[in-house]
Amino acid sequence: MNKENPLLEVSNLTLDYRLGKKRMRALDRVSFQLEKGEILGVAGESGCGKSTLGLSIIKLLPKIAEIKRGEILFEGRDLLNTSENDMNRKIRGQKISMIFQNPQNALNPVFTIGKQMTDILRAQSKYKNKKMRSSRFFRDQAIGRLKSTGIADPSARLSNYPYEFSGGMKQRVMIGMALSSGTSLLLADEATTALDVTIEAQINRLISDLAAQYGTSVLYVSHNLGVLAELADRIMIMYAGRIFEMGTTTDVFDSPSHPYSAALLESLPSRQARGKRLLSIPGIVPPLDNLPQGCSFHPRCKFAEDICKREVPPLEQVTDGHFSACFLDNKRGRKRLKWI
Amino acid sequence: MDLIEINHLKTYFYQNKGFLSKLFGEGLKTIHAVDDVSLTIKKGRTFGLVGESGCGKSTLGQSIFRLVKAQSGEILFQGQDVLQMDPKTLMAFRQQAQLIFQDQYGCMNPRMTVGQIIAEPLMMREKGKIDNQSLFDEVIRLLQAVNLDPESATKFPNEFSGGQARRIGVARAIALTPVFIMADEPTSGLDISTAATILNLMQDLQDKLNITYLWVSHNLNQVKYMSDDMAVMYLGKIVEMGQTKDIFREMAHPYTKALISAVPQVSINQQKETIFLEGEIPSPIHPPSGCRFRTRCPQVMKRCKTHEPALIDLGSGHLCACHLHTVNQETNN
Repeated sequence: MNKENPLLEVSNLTLDYRLGKKRMRALDRVSFQLEKGEILGVAGESGCGKSTLGLSIIKLLPKIAEIKRGEILFEGRDLLNTSENDMNRKIRGQKISMIFQNPQNALNPVFTIGKQMTDILRAQSKYKNKKMRSSRFFRDQAIGRLKSTGIADPSARLSNYPYEFSGGMKQRVMIGMALSSGTSLLLADEATTALDVTIEAQINRLISDLAAQYGTSVLYVSHNLGVLAELADRIMIMYAGRIFEMGTTTDVFDSPSHPYSAALLESLPSRQARGKRLLSIPGIVPPLDNLPQGCSFHPRCKFAEDICKREVPPLEQVTDGHFSACFLDNKRGRKRLKWI
Repeated sequence: MDLIEINHLKTYFYQNKGFLSKLFGEGLKTIHAVDDVSLTIKKGRTFGLVGESGCGKSTLGQSIFRLVKAQSGEILFQGQDVLQMDPKTLMAFRQQAQLIFQDQYGCMNPRMTVGQIIAEPLMMREKGKIDNQSLFDEVIRLLQAVNLDPESATKFPNEFSGGQARRIGVARAIALTPVFIMADEPTSGLDISTAATILNLMQDLQDKLNITYLWVSHNLNQVKYMSDDMAVMYLGKIVEMGQTKDIFREMAHPYTKALISAVPQVSINQQKETIFLEGEIPSPIHPPSGCRFRTRCPQVMKRCKTHEPALIDLGSGHLCACHLHTVNQETNN
């Protein structure tokens, strides 16, 4: 790992969604780094900005989004100042790929899998070396990719339509399209949420195997903390557009430093015995156009003090490589947070 | 005491292949959604039903309510066979047994206020002979029972978040003080903390009203937390059944082992070996011969192809359908 030059460096990314006169701050001063070959898990409840983060890296944001501040450096290149044309030719689908929650919607139902895969390969090859290649060449490449994702009988499968594939197989096709030797960053947005547990385990194993094989870094967005615990090297917990906690998986899940992370872990039924009550965090996630003053979590936080209502806590290092955005950290030391 | 006893229930669906294939003699295709399932649900307890999508767990639940037509078998509810009920008794049964659906927005009329939605079953029961004031009081009481604002009664379903919508579903389900509720994936699509709220609420209601739950879910962590007894289904059949704590302590069936090992856990210190099942669940139109799990089973044997394993008791009501255990029993005898 090269500590000096991370693969991806996001600094102070601030993003608004404009809806009429409303302005919603979807990302607020988000800064993090992603090393080569690392899997970073992003967790949080719906509306916390975790999907927006992925979309802003590959620049597929809807028109109402407006980046106010910040910088996204990918392999030293400033993505926010890269033209749309260059994004298409050099970045999307080549250096950075994305897989989505619903593979059904990402595949065109009226073309065969083979047609859709070779189209992408053909476009990439045209951008890369401008050489004409035979259809056979692309077909063989597509077969190779399907094979690497563990689909049986790939050459026959190329002439199938998406409806003939099950959910897990469609997600495999998406991964096959997304991952190649040239891909250095994979963005996975709830990639296994719609799948059964046994299939989910297969797909996640595939992602981590292929990532290891190609040295690809992964930004894995999920609301399933269990999946992240098993897959990710580092975890980032987000709430209302801010990073609340970031650190290695062991740090965040074994000794959470932020009250919100601790609360999420206490609301999991897997950690409670039958009959014991689960923690339900009081209140609701605040609307993004009307965030509370100070720390956005303070109205729901059991440990909130006066300062939390006035000032926004900065993301500070608790221990080496473990960051948390909470005023109480300094005072509390390394005591365990208990909600119930 | 047993509240519901299901004996040899079979629910099949038929897929019509159209005129030409009929002409050439392909005929109907039978989907074996629920195939010879027997189970008992004890009063005041929670029965968890788990399995992958397409294993027939929802169909089994819907068969109990006669929302889908069962082919054969019997479903005894407090001693009466639901499948043989005449329309009048069926109405009475459906007042005592209620459903909470997965897609909560889909089962609320978007043009009715929440108050009207919750009041509807009450009006049906009283056949219109109830005055507005007591109806109103009852609706408010129900809303408060599920921790919703009384003012919610005048709002429309689209004004509520996912978690609140589930609570409306719960309020409607308990309106007629049922003895039995089937919850079909009651927390799917909800955030962690919101799901926890619903689970707490349902537990409180069970303690207060002594309701029996049939908890249909693919979330094993949740079933482990919520249920007293459980059954694991695979391709229309029950492969393992018993008390939840027994099954999680000592999984007997290879499928249960794989399923439980595949559930992602947050506790990192706990070393865990995931058993990866190859392939996917086969089509229920042509289920594999013998044991239905044999095509994916890591411990498959010769006889699994030819003989279908029966559910046998491994002791204290822990049932399992696998040749690994029938062989052991035979050698013991």
